[in-house]
Amino acid sequence: MGATVAAVISVQRLEKSFGTTRALDGLDLEVERGEVHGFLGPNGAGKSVTIRILLGLLRHDAGTARLLDGDPWQDAVELHRRLAYVPGDVNLWPNLSGGEVIDLLARLRGHTDLRRRAELLDRFALDPRKKCRTYSKGNRQKVALVAALTSDAELLVLDEPTAGLDPLMEAEFQQCILEAKAEGRTVLLSSHILAEVEQLCDRVTIIRQGRTVQRGTLAELRHLTRTSVEAVVEGPVPQLAHMEGVHHLQFDDPGAGGVHVTFDVDAGNLGEAIHLLADTGIRTLVSQPPTLEELFLRHYDDESSPPVEPAGER
Amino acid sequence: MTRADFTNTFVMMRLVLRRDRTRFAVWVLAIAVLVLTSASSVKGLYDTPESLAAYARLVKDNAALIVQAGPGFGLDDPTVGAVLMNELSIWAIIVVALLSMFTVTRHTRAEEESERADVVRSTPLGRDANAAATMLAVLLVDVVVAAVVAGGLVGLGLSVAGSVAFGASLVGAGVVFASITLVSAQIFPTARAASGSAFLVLGISFVIRAIGDVAGNGLSWLSPIGWAQAVRPFADERWWVLLLPIAASFVLVALSAGLADRRDLGAGLLPQRVGPASAGALLSTPFGLAVRLHRASVLGWATGVTLLSFFYGVVAEQAQRMLDDNPDLADFFAQLGTGSITDAFLATAVTMTALLVGGYAVAAVLRLRTEESGGRADPLLATPTSRARWALSHLAVAMVAQVALLAAGGLALGLGAAVAMGDAGRVLQLTGATLAMAPAAALLAAIAFLFAAAWPRAALASWVGVGAAAVIALLGGVLDLPDAVKALSPFHHVPAMPVQPFEVAPLLVLAAMGALAVAAGLGGLRRRDMART
Repeated sequence: MGATVAAVISVQRLEKSFGTTRALDGLDLEVERGEVHGFLGPNGAGKSVTIRILLGLLRHDAGTARLLDGDPWQDAVELHRRLAYVPGDVNLWPNLSGGEVIDLLARLRGHTDLRRRAELLDRFALDPRKKCRTYSKGNRQKVALVAALTSDAELLVLDEPTAGLDPLMEAEFQQCILEAKAEGRTVLLSSHILAEVEQLCDRVTIIRQGRTVQRGTLAELRHLTRTSVEAVVEGPVPQLAHMEGVHHLQFDDPGAGGVHVTFDVDAGNLGEAIHLLADTGIRTLVSQPPTLEELFLRHYDDESSPPVEPAGER
Repeated sequence: MTRADFTNTFVMMRLVLRRDRTRFAVWVLAIAVLVLTSASSVKGLYDTPESLAAYARLVKDNAALIVQAGPGFGLDDPTVGAVLMNELSIWAIIVVALLSMFTVTRHTRAEEESERADVVRSTPLGRDANAAATMLAVLLVDVVVAAVVAGGLVGLGLSVAGSVAFGASLVGAGVVFASITLVSAQIFPTARAASGSAFLVLGISFVIRAIGDVAGNGLSWLSPIGWAQAVRPFADERWWVLLLPIAASFVLVALSAGLADRRDLGAGLLPQRVGPASAGALLSTPFGLAVRLHRASVLGWATGVTLLSFFYGVVAEQAQRMLDDNPDLADFFAQLGTGSITDAFLATAVTMTALLVGGYAVAAVLRLRTEESGGRADPLLATPTSRARWALSHLAVAMVAQVALLAAGGLALGLGAAVAMGDAGRVLQLTGATLAMAPAAALLAAIAFLFAAAWPRAALASWVGVGAAAVIALLGGVLDLPDAVKALSPFHHVPAMPVQPFEVAPLLVLAAMGALAVAAGLGGLRRRDMART
């Protein structure tokens, strides 16, 4: 734990309540310079609240939050020279055109790059002359994305930026993020789209009910998840039922003398389980690697798993 | 239109009533208090036939007062009811019209703008159900207002027929202006433009009936406000006149339904034009953005304020002519010793202009609140723009605009008076008199800023200040308000030029109070969470 020297965002035990609703309950988040960091969690977990605290729009009750070596509340104006933000729900001025909004935000940030602007408008196939009133949700998102990506900000804070984009634009977005990363920029990407996270993110933080439940590289997280195994073996394998790390075990008889067995197994016990099957004699074997979906489901589901870190006092 | 077009109308009506139950309760209460305290005050002030007759002599055929009050039905044989109608009915009509208009835009065009309408329309809801539900809710609220008012007047001992007729005339005016707003909500793509154009119709209706009432040429029959007064409550009621608002409402609602069939949900009737592909030089700062956002509404208000003020200026000359025919009036003003009736009328006109501009300034400052709750403050505040700079940009535009509006209104009033009376000196005099109101209007705006910046959830309370100032200025006499209450209105402290001489001290005090409110607002804004809906 603790802030590394390279941390661009460093949040510890962050707490925030709205009246009696506890939005953040000891949240931790660490984003290092130059990485694309995935910020995951179910609806209402506190992703947007965290981001709005980092932007100085909300004030936190307890814990610490540091952004680009500054205090997000005190130093908001100075810090905002160095970041660009795409809100999850993009609301723009209905009677301004998309091009006007992009230029306005760029000028306020103090950096206008007309060549880059033209290129991004082209890549995202966005007509800048249309009034914001007439843009669809996806197109409003494109306006905010173009405005953010045109900037020379060292940190991009993106709150579910692709929720309204079609697959083509989604691919274009991913390309843009990879380019930003190649330029050495840091990206905080809150998202629900797992393919996007797997594609882009170096590390992820998963939160639930205002607390961090999991964080690390995708490889590390995969290690913590289960592989699902489906096999047809020659005879029954009763030992599996008693083995540690085996879950959701099911036997049934497919006929022709074999036994159909399905189960999930923790990464650490996979070898032993396969060994047992092999001893019995394997006819067919299908094993699914752990997907991020399962990682998600495991942590999103209230019952299935306790938080990795001890819970803060409630 | 078929039955299916109205499916679930009553469900939607309950939604309107549920969403606005507090709002409606406040309006009904405020209107009831306004009417009933006025009535009881009139009853106390004019408790003898002699005092009633004296009032009638003073007021009857006085063009300047007719502009502000109406034709003065029943003053030949004056009763308390007739005096009350002459003092109050026009303002009650306007307030009920405003309530009805606000309700319509809020539940029609504003809903479409927020895209909530998409969700609602995707349910088994008839095409015309929301409009019908809104109109029914308006009708219901107007009827409640009328019932409370009529019941209260009867309770105070006024005639049943007159009380009911007055209530009915209020409902008629409310529903007609609701229907007008419903039509404008089909035409314009934003709630702001829909309300704005409907307000313009209200203003034009006021002026048309003023001209008609003064000239006695029947022009007032073109104005829905004129219809409401032509019902003649407490003056030999003419019930058939109520058919006019009913017929007009049916025609307007049918027109609106026809227009709604010809447009897409969320769109206006006029095609959306494309904008520029890149921003002009104006859009480089928060202030520039605020100028751009406020520009259209400032132009709309400037048009309205200028036309109304010019009209008041032109009419002022009529007031002078009265004195020659009405020795009683001449005596009255001689006793007052505060200048001519023309000056008194012009001072009232200055106050009217200032009240309108104060209303503009509050509305403009409250834009801060809608920017914030609409999620448009976030993207700005995520750039190197401080909260104070964001908030002050809107305040600055509102302040500059209100001074400009006062200048335009004062100039128009002065020009009108100068042309009508052939006295060029009026231009400078009245422009100055109107501009002197700036610190008072600014104080109302500063209070709105305090709310919007520090406590946005309560920001609509800023309108209480405008409402109180209007009641004190327009009804202070009939309500016989004590000076301590009148002192609550900032406009009360500005010397009523051209009747009173100019004094700078009260203006400085008002300005200082405004500055304090702004500072307090900024202090609160610095400490709080930015909200989002």
